[in-house]
Amino acid sequence: MTAVTHDEVHAGPAPPPTGWRRLLAPGWLRVPWMTALFFGIGAGITVLVRWLEGWDPIWKGSVITTVELTAVPFGFLAGIGGFDYWMRYAAGSPTRPEDHSGHGARSWRDYFRINTDHKVIGIQYLVTTIFFFVAAGLLAMLMRAELARPGMQFVDNQTFNGLFSVHAALMIFLFVIPAFAGIGNYVIPLMIGAPDMAFPRLNALSFWLLPIAGFMMLGSFLAPGGAFASGWTGYAPLASTHQPIGSVFFNMGVQWAGASSIMTALNFLVTIITMRAPGMSFWRMPLLVWANFTTSLLVVIATPFIAGSQFFVMFDHVMHTHFFDYQAGGYPLGYQHIFWFYSHPAVYIMMLPGFGIASEVISVMSRKPIFGYRLMALSLLAILVLGFSVWAHHMFVAGMAPWLRVPMMVTSMVIAVPTGIKVFSWLATLWDGRIHFDTPMLFALGFVSMFVIGGLSGIYLAAVPIDIHTSDTYFVVAHIHYVLFGGSLFTIFAGIYFWFPKMTGRMYDERLGKLHFWLTFIGFNLTFFPMHWLGIQGMPRRVADYVPRFADLNMFISLASFGLGASTLVFVYNMVKSWRFGPAAAANPWRSLTLEWQVSSPPPIFNFDEIPQVVGNPYEYGVPDARHAVFNGDRQVELEEVPTR
Amino acid sequence: MTVQAEAHAAHPPEAHQSSRVDARTLGMFLFIASEVMLFGSFFTAYFFVRVSAHTHWPTAGHELPVFVAGINTIILVSSSFTMHWALQAIKRGNRAGLQAGLTLTFLLGLTFLLTQIREYSRLGFAPYTDAFGTIFYCLTGLHGAHVFVGLTLLLAATIRSYRGHYTADAHWGVEIPGIYWHFVDVMWIVVYTTVYIL
Amino acid sequence: MRRGSVAQLVAIGIVCGGGAALVAILIPWLPDPASRQAGRIDFVFWFVTVICIAIFALVAAVIIYSVLKFRAQPGEDMDGPPIHGNTGLEIVWTAVPAALVTAISIVSAIVLAKNDHIPKASAAGDPLHPLVVEVTAQQFAWSFKYTGFGDLTSATLKLPLNKPVKLRITSLDVNHSFWVPEFGQKQDAVPGSWNNLVITPDKNGTYPVICTELCGLGHALMRSRAEVMPAQKFLSWAKGQQKKLGGPAGSSGKAVFTANGCDSCHTFTPAGANKKIGPDLDNLRQEAQRAGQPLEQFIRTSIVDPNAYVEPGFTKGLMPTSFSSLPKAQLDALVSYLAGGAKK
Ligand code: HEA
Ligand code: HEA
Ligand code: HEC
Ligand code: CUA
Ligand SMILES: [Cu+2]
Repeated sequence: MTAVTHDEVHAGPAPPPTGWRRLLAPGWLRVPWMTALFFGIGAGITVLVRWLEGWDPIWKGSVITTVELTAVPFGFLAGIGGFDYWMRYAAGSPTRPEDHSGHGARSWRDYFRINTDHKVIGIQYLVTTIFFFVAAGLLAMLMRAELARPGMQFVDNQTFNGLFSVHAALMIFLFVIPAFAGIGNYVIPLMIGAPDMAFPRLNALSFWLLPIAGFMMLGSFLAPGGAFASGWTGYAPLASTHQPIGSVFFNMGVQWAGASSIMTALNFLVTIITMRAPGMSFWRMPLLVWANFTTSLLVVIATPFIAGSQFFVMFDHVMHTHFFDYQAGGYPLGYQHIFWFYSHPAVYIMMLPGFGIASEVISVMSRKPIFGYRLMALSLLAILVLGFSVWAHHMFVAGMAPWLRVPMMVTSMVIAVPTGIKVFSWLATLWDGRIHFDTPMLFALGFVSMFVIGGLSGIYLAAVPIDIHTSDTYFVVAHIHYVLFGGSLFTIFAGIYFWFPKMTGRMYDERLGKLHFWLTFIGFNLTFFPMHWLGIQGMPRRVADYVPRFADLNMFISLASFGLGASTLVFVYNMVKSWRFGPAAAANPWRSLTLEWQVSSPPPIFNFDEIPQVVGNPYEYGVPDARHAVFNGDRQVELEEVPTR
Repeated sequence: MTVQAEAHAAHPPEAHQSSRVDARTLGMFLFIASEVMLFGSFFTAYFFVRVSAHTHWPTAGHELPVFVAGINTIILVSSSFTMHWALQAIKRGNRAGLQAGLTLTFLLGLTFLLTQIREYSRLGFAPYTDAFGTIFYCLTGLHGAHVFVGLTLLLAATIRSYRGHYTADAHWGVEIPGIYWHFVDVMWIVVYTTVYIL
Repeated sequence: MRRGSVAQLVAIGIVCGGGAALVAILIPWLPDPASRQAGRIDFVFWFVTVICIAIFALVAAVIIYSVLKFRAQPGEDMDGPPIHGNTGLEIVWTAVPAALVTAISIVSAIVLAKNDHIPKASAAGDPLHPLVVEVTAQQFAWSFKYTGFGDLTSATLKLPLNKPVKLRITSLDVNHSFWVPEFGQKQDAVPGSWNNLVITPDKNGTYPVICTELCGLGHALMRSRAEVMPAQKFLSWAKGQQKKLGGPAGSSGKAVFTANGCDSCHTFTPAGANKKIGPDLDNLRQEAQRAGQPLEQFIRTSIVDPNAYVEPGFTKGLMPTSFSSLPKAQLDALVSYLAGGAKK
């Protein structure tokens, strides 16, 4: 909350430190020694406790590693300044109103500091997540190189298992989920007419947890014994008893990324509930806001379960507890239940914000109101509720109670109904529109078509007899990529292109954008469609070696995937080039009605000089003289730029 | 607020408050919701172990000090009342009451935690002994960690109360830790009932 | 919507649906089923496919039609008609998918129930109805135990034709998963529990047994074979095998070697084994020298405690450790067989 409250004691802005005092100021100079300090404290406490308890050896690698994976990140965060305000506050010292002075970025350096401006944080999120996307994609390229031929070529079995585990973990926890959080961060406060998020400092902190989680997971390749290699699902007892120490890097990485997710979700929820502009009732919120609202509910409720599951595995691994050790009374299948109780909702965490983006883009670019607005919002809620009742469809062959299979199948199938409502409503929005095929729209339409294929393969999987045949084969790999790449990733691209002018104040290169779309669309289908066949025919997933019968098709897939990878170069080039040299963007290049387009590009430092008054629905394209919101006084001029007929 | 905004030229317009709920309170409640789910995952693990054991529970060789833990429960629960008292005091502008209430709450919480640690050292089984030990230590340990966090929040509130902060109409710095503290207490009752009694 | 456009839309839909149907029919998607269960699963597969093609064709047709027909002219800044919804339509596209998924669920549930069911034997007392096989998975090997045949064990799965087989599956270490693509049936092997799977093979032949649950570094290599043969042949195999394994030391070594799947990882010329996952056992003599141990002792420790000495160039932890529980007689036979066959 940016409002100044009475029981805070304020001091003016601090004078910039000089000389050696710079080492004390929050920032990169303080990071190294704080990190070292926390490392020392962590190691010291561990050694002390082990010595007092008489445990042998006093210096035990796995225990120290685990402790340091907690302590060092705290040192980093303290160094960069994530806790300064709260520490001063807790000690009762005067606090600086840095939530405002930290706003805005004046140079690129400001992106490498703790910054409490949701717009800066949004961009920090997006750049970081795209970095991890490229890293995870390059791991996939290594994987495809190994899989191009049967037998072993470049890597050994354990390394290969590490490759796909880190690939998936980064893609999910460090790319798709936080990339949506990044877009939401930038757009939501603008869309609801708020000056910032409800808790700006918490917002900054949630961002800085991400690089920690990401580098922890990547760094596991350097751990003795190699990276964690039990898949992104990290099933026990494999992950808890038969893995090198790298596996703890995954357990802890998930905790950091999960904490980041929960904090952001909480922030979104409070922002959306308490900070909407006057007149913006729930039924006047843009669907992107609705989507993030439901997603955040999912995150807050479900994410603690994966935190739990990873704690259990880590304890079993490091402290030799017995959660999943049946010989001592543990229950191996318990892991899967707890894990999927988060991770199935997680797949909707990775999709619902994309639904929101698609709704925005399709409505604006078709120049028509979104079809069936209320049902669109309600179907999000339906998916939220149903999403909690289907987790065991990942366990049809896992040996759980057989009677649980049919109810889980039915609930999984029922999710097709609300999802179908959304798909058909987008189609009806397109119908009879005046459609502009700019890059965001191409990606949005690519999303609708590809996601339907992915969703339908989900229906195959949800049918128990088919799943019994196809589970843990490349058919599932195909499903994953159709929903995650064809679904989530396409909408992320759509969102980035759509809001690029707003975020950077410059226009991207439309020709390169279209090129990127077509290369991606074609490369994507060539890479992942044949995987359906491989899976049904009998190629299991997570193998570095396979029978020669599948050699040709795998070679084809690998070649296609290199093309798909190369298409990303076009995207990165376009982004970098346009951000620096692109032509200045208009305030509202898409002639959209929603609030974020009614301010300049990029928006003023506090978003709005005056909080707008919302007077109508956000998608009234084609309605004569429709207004979503009105501004006072001088804002009237900019409103005139919105042609509404 | 307007005075402040003029003092700093670079101040945002005040956000429209679109809900009757205060942002901080709402944030705390959502955080507690996710904490409840974290406990939920531990309870799920607990019941998996318990149900799959197919034997008398607690499994042989595990005597739990139900009585001592019961006393400890009373200590923790009474700290909820002192917390409530502290908050009521500052609402009436009674600083001494606030200080006494917070200090008492803190001490009661600390007593609870220390008793718990002492109990650990006398139980005669360890987290790595078997699945019962695992689940017992993890569930009570998770709760202990929460007590620790709660105590940290209380410590901050106590320090500030002695520094003369908080007034009759600005006391959310007491209210928010208070909500958390009540949650920690209620959670303990659930943990105690499940692990020690049921 | 004008009438002409409906016709065009339907035409595009038919083209899309037809294309998808051709892809579905012309490409041999499913492996040739070799069990009753696989045949039923294939039926569900086609049932779902028909529904999915229809849905896909509808979605694709509307998108393609919109792309072709509703494209804005360059520079055009008109808006479309402000249609906010249509209750009738919305009811239809809620109800129809709901009906379709209900249909899929019902078909699936029926097939599932049938696939799990073992019909009554026509003749009472048939030892092969059902045939019970205990499947034990471990890193990274399968072993199959025929409890009805004096606990006969084998590293490959031999099955009688047209007899329902009840597999009871467990694991010694981590999760694995038993799958034969041609049988369609799959089931995880979980340590500490016994999971059931029913298969009624209905075609003679040899099929791959694949581990489909990630189980560690040897996951990709964890394969075996399932051999379906006429019931008579199966019975005589089982009798012969029982005799061989219990035979005098020396002569039964080879049987022990194959029964435990050593040949799925090693090369050993006397047994006709030629796999390269583990060291070449033809060279055991040199390897024992390098390890500085007497031959027989080296072989014995290598089998019961494979990680004690790891041949350079091979991965530790790949060879299963469970052979330490082989019966003493079989172990002796195995060791002397390997020692005798090792090249001078
Ligand atoms: C964005 C992520 C995402 C999304 C949205 C989905 C959506 C769905 N998924 Fe998917 N799934 C994953 C990501 C996702 N999944 C991942 C990552 C895994 C693998 C995890 C691992 O093991 O590593 C997985 C695995 C997975 C499995 C387990 C497979 C196995 O391991 O054996 C199953 C089984 O039921 C399943 C089902 C479904 C279903 C029914 C949907 C439904 O929500 C789909 C609904 C959508 C449609 C159906 C299309 C649109 C609807 C219409 C046009 C209406 C008409 C339709 C009908 C009448 C059918 N998924
Ligand atoms: C959002 C999620 C996401 C995304 C975007 C991707 C993207 C890709 N995935 Fe991933 N994948 C998963 C999520 C995702 N994947 C998950 C959850 C699993 C399951 C893991 C498990 O079993 O535990 C999986 C598993 C998985 C497998 C199966 C592994 C196995 O079971 O053995 C394969 C195999 O081909 C694969 C391939 C690819 C490829 C080629 C891409 C490509 O699209 C990547 C393209 C991007 C780049 C290449 C990076 C940027 C490019 C450049 C900088 C250009 C320069 C490079 C070159 C030209 C080489 N993935
Ligand atoms: C899953 C694969 C696998 C199976 C099955 C397997 N082995 Fe091995 N074996 C290996 C590997 C890999 C090594 C080398 C690493 C080691 O010594 O642990 C090895 C090593 C050995 C050695 C030591 C050879 C040397 O040169 O060091 C002997 C002897 C041996 N195996 C015998 C057997 C016998 C007998 C069986 C069956 C009862 C068997 N193996 C089954 C993979 C396997
Ligand atoms: Cu056993 Cu994979
Ligand atoms: Cu799922």
